[in-house]
Amino acid sequence: MTTAGRRTFEETLRRPRHGEGAWPGRHRNRGPADAALLLIGACFVLPLLWLVFGSLDAEAGYQTRLPASASLANFTAVLTPELLLRPLWNSLLLSAGTASVTLVAAVLAAYPLSRFESRFNRPFMYSILCGTCLPVTAIMVPVYGLFVQLRLLDSQLATVLFMAATALPMAIWMTKNFMDAVPVSLEEAAWVDGASGLTALRAVVLPLMRQGLGVVFIFVFIQTWGNFFVPFILLLSPSKQPASVSIFSFFGQHGAIAYGQLAAFSILYSVPVLVLYVLVARGAGGSFALSGAMKG
Amino acid sequence: MHRPAKFLVALFCATALVATSACSAEQPAAEKKTLKIVYQKTDSFTALDTLFKDAKKDFEAANQGTTVDLQPIEANDDDYGTKLSLALRSAETAPDVFYEDTFKVRSDVDAGYLLKLDSYLEKWADWKLYNDAAKAAGTADDGGIYAVPLGTDTRAIWYNKTVLQKAGITVPWQPRSWDEILDAARKMKAADPSLVPFNMYAGKATGEGTVMQSFYELLYGTDSELYDQQEKKWVVGSQGFKDSLAFLKTLYDEGLAVTPAEALDANVWKKVFGEWLPKGKMGATVEGSYTPSFWQKGGNYEWAGYAEDMGVAKFPTQHGQEPGGVSMSGGWTLAVGADSKNPDLAFKFLSEALSKKNSLAFTVSGSQIAVRTDVAAETEYLAANPFVKDVSDLVSVTHYRPATADYPRISAAVQVATEAVITGALSPQQAAAQYDKTVKDLVGDAKVVQK
Amino acid sequence: MVERKTVRQQLRLLPVLPSVLLILVFLAAPILWSFHASFTNAALTGRNARNPAWTGVENYVRLLGDAAFPASVVLTVVFVVASAVVGQNMLGLLIAGLMTRARKPVAAVVGTAVVAAWVLPEIVAAFAAYAYFSKDGTLNQVLGGAGVAGADWLYAYPMVAVVLANIWRGTAFSMLVYRAALADVPQDISEAALMDGAAGWQRLVFITLPLIRSSIATNLMLVTLQTLAVFTLIWVMTAGGPSSASTTLPVLAYQEAFKFGDIGYGTAIASVLIVLGLVFGIAYVRLLRGDKR
Repeated sequence: MTTAGRRTFEETLRRPRHGEGAWPGRHRNRGPADAALLLIGACFVLPLLWLVFGSLDAEAGYQTRLPASASLANFTAVLTPELLLRPLWNSLLLSAGTASVTLVAAVLAAYPLSRFESRFNRPFMYSILCGTCLPVTAIMVPVYGLFVQLRLLDSQLATVLFMAATALPMAIWMTKNFMDAVPVSLEEAAWVDGASGLTALRAVVLPLMRQGLGVVFIFVFIQTWGNFFVPFILLLSPSKQPASVSIFSFFGQHGAIAYGQLAAFSILYSVPVLVLYVLVARGAGGSFALSGAMKG
Repeated sequence: MHRPAKFLVALFCATALVATSACSAEQPAAEKKTLKIVYQKTDSFTALDTLFKDAKKDFEAANQGTTVDLQPIEANDDDYGTKLSLALRSAETAPDVFYEDTFKVRSDVDAGYLLKLDSYLEKWADWKLYNDAAKAAGTADDGGIYAVPLGTDTRAIWYNKTVLQKAGITVPWQPRSWDEILDAARKMKAADPSLVPFNMYAGKATGEGTVMQSFYELLYGTDSELYDQQEKKWVVGSQGFKDSLAFLKTLYDEGLAVTPAEALDANVWKKVFGEWLPKGKMGATVEGSYTPSFWQKGGNYEWAGYAEDMGVAKFPTQHGQEPGGVSMSGGWTLAVGADSKNPDLAFKFLSEALSKKNSLAFTVSGSQIAVRTDVAAETEYLAANPFVKDVSDLVSVTHYRPATADYPRISAAVQVATEAVITGALSPQQAAAQYDKTVKDLVGDAKVVQK
Repeated sequence: MVERKTVRQQLRLLPVLPSVLLILVFLAAPILWSFHASFTNAALTGRNARNPAWTGVENYVRLLGDAAFPASVVLTVVFVVASAVVGQNMLGLLIAGLMTRARKPVAAVVGTAVVAAWVLPEIVAAFAAYAYFSKDGTLNQVLGGAGVAGADWLYAYPMVAVVLANIWRGTAFSMLVYRAALADVPQDISEAALMDGAAGWQRLVFITLPLIRSSIATNLMLVTLQTLAVFTLIWVMTAGGPSSASTTLPVLAYQEAFKFGDIGYGTAIASVLIVLGLVFGIAYVRLLRGDKR
């Protein structure tokens, strides 16, 4: 257990969230830090310029250039129900579904792992984590075979379950560590009042780790939102495909690509996750509290 | 500890329920006959979608009780191939009729995925109308026919007339040998050193484009070949292979083609179509018969003046030997799944989809070369763009890739050899020797022949 | 009594079951199948597609004799070390550190810029990175504007380009982790050190870093495992080229399994990838354990 684990959770929340003393340097002199940060920030923004310029340029190529005349033609071209809205809705279903299933399963799994010492805990945690280093393309052939056998192809629900399984190792890991930060003493009080383990989990522990749950949810959500290969392979009907798959509409025959529309679509496709991130980050008090998740 | 147990039971019930409902949703209606059709569709490639929708309407009207289930796959060529291969692996998911790349036909026949169509084709009156090259495209190693082409393509030299004229070359231009290409390219270079006089693709980045639009035009114009059809063996150690590499080396070393760095960018062809040729910065290149589709109205690189400014020429053989020209063909076919429960019905649908009316519409909107002689004679087809006749005539000198199951790796080895030569990593001799070794390792000594 | 206790103890583990079931069915089973397939000549098409035969360790023997393989392992390690262990990890720590000192609005704006690259769907990020590094892309235009001659990054320095792109895309995660970790470092400790006249770097090395050591180890483990699996980014930017100068193991496995349809060989490469993940994983677990004692 690290220091944070020993403090009560409320204490952790109440403490000022900016540890100025932790980083070398004097407090007053903010100029150099500002300048350095802005420089780094500029480097991170530059690659996004192509997206912005390209989306406004009716004749965009893959080269970045200021559009000769800005037009919203690309946006109007992609703003159709079939091209954008339905795929986005499917993306939302898949991502929210996967994040929810993952969260519920991860909380259930994390509870005993966090609360009861067992020889089984450590090996379990490490062995499931190792699965995350495999690119999903490497197991897609057997997964397809499995879905054929179980007659699950073209089922959005089954696709959600599969993506939840791939997200679970990280999610369990993070959730367990968040839970470790909630002191057992609070639950013991609930047990004395006759509450069962799961009641205590629901009534005492979960409310205290709201932030952490938000982090896990958004983490899984973002991963699923961008996932192309899994829904592409496991879903058959075009009407069920998410935006990560329909983005390939802009790739034509003989390798032609409609770059302007691709850029416009990419922007519209990325906005929902950015908004979600901003909302959750705000709710988490600005620093998107990952700290709890990261104590090994 | 009762509550958690109850909770878990409830959870499992819920999971089971959800799982079963997911299953039941999958079951198709029992007795009615259903044909499953799988093909590729994207926002900018809808010609095939239109074709199948029309065919479905007509077919269902004519065959009561039959449902045609269209399953378009929205993807680029590679991903389409992957998903189709996965579906073909099991009888349950295999489609009845599907869109199949000519270069996958043979390996999918080896895999047992395709139905032999000979007995059906005998009875199909329209089959006589297909030209011989098209008939060969769907032929497998056993001599049987397993796929019917939708259309095809050829490769030719596309040149910018103004650039050639500035260098004092008379148009229309028709080189008779490799040396005449080099002569013309050097003249263009001398007239304007900033030009790319004559480009041919090379390297792994352009993938099949490197072999289909460059290397095979050279190799098949020598006295050698890639694959011995009679013996069914891969050719190694041939002089033609070395000569072809040497020709590419000359082009790149003398700066007659693009720079090696540009050649190894997978997007180089976009500049060829979108920038260099329209702006008169490139003299000529070897490209597919679908080239005008990029410049026509609605194409990716609209260029109103292409019909006047561009010319097309046959790629010559090495020394002008017979038959005087070379072209390569690919294209896509329709095939019937070997596991189809209603093969007769599936073929019937295939023939409906390939009717004269449907073929004509698809050929024109997809910038294809007609494979049916009746379509080829239609004025609507011939009027699609000014070059249709020229590129269609190349069918007489065209070749198809020896697309066996080993072919993708052989092709990759050829691409590696071209890349090594143009970057100067290896001499043509060394690169050819390395290719020979790779091929022997891949297919085994028994399947190569020294020529 | 004893028996009841063990039963109860086992019952306590029941809530783990949904996760275990999901992982067993959808993750462990396919991985095991893949491992099994690596000992066969399974293929997507061609003669062996429907009736794959057991070929023993042939795929692995071929792998050892394949010139592309050792190069690919080296490139994978370089990619992981340069872009994850050094790049994302260090840059994330640096940004988080600077944020504690910078003005709040600045920190917020820069934080959002860094995070934007992270939340972009991978395929979009990959296209943006391609457009950025291509010969007449944004980077060379900016360099040209500053009077510096650019380079053809994707051709001349493909690994540099994909490493930088992966740093760009993934640093947000490390930044968030370290921001939170630094916020947890008690102020009084480092203030005491400041009183003692410890220089900035001394406080960093001797006080701050040891305090957040477990965060560092966990972060390293997670970014390493994620980076090992990176495929789309490299595939879109360079497709593993030129030649095979940026063909990491996931790219090689994809080429073999899908481009050449050789599932057996492709899964053998994937198995090597898992072993590589284990090696990195064990190293970090050691680092973590050292912290606990």
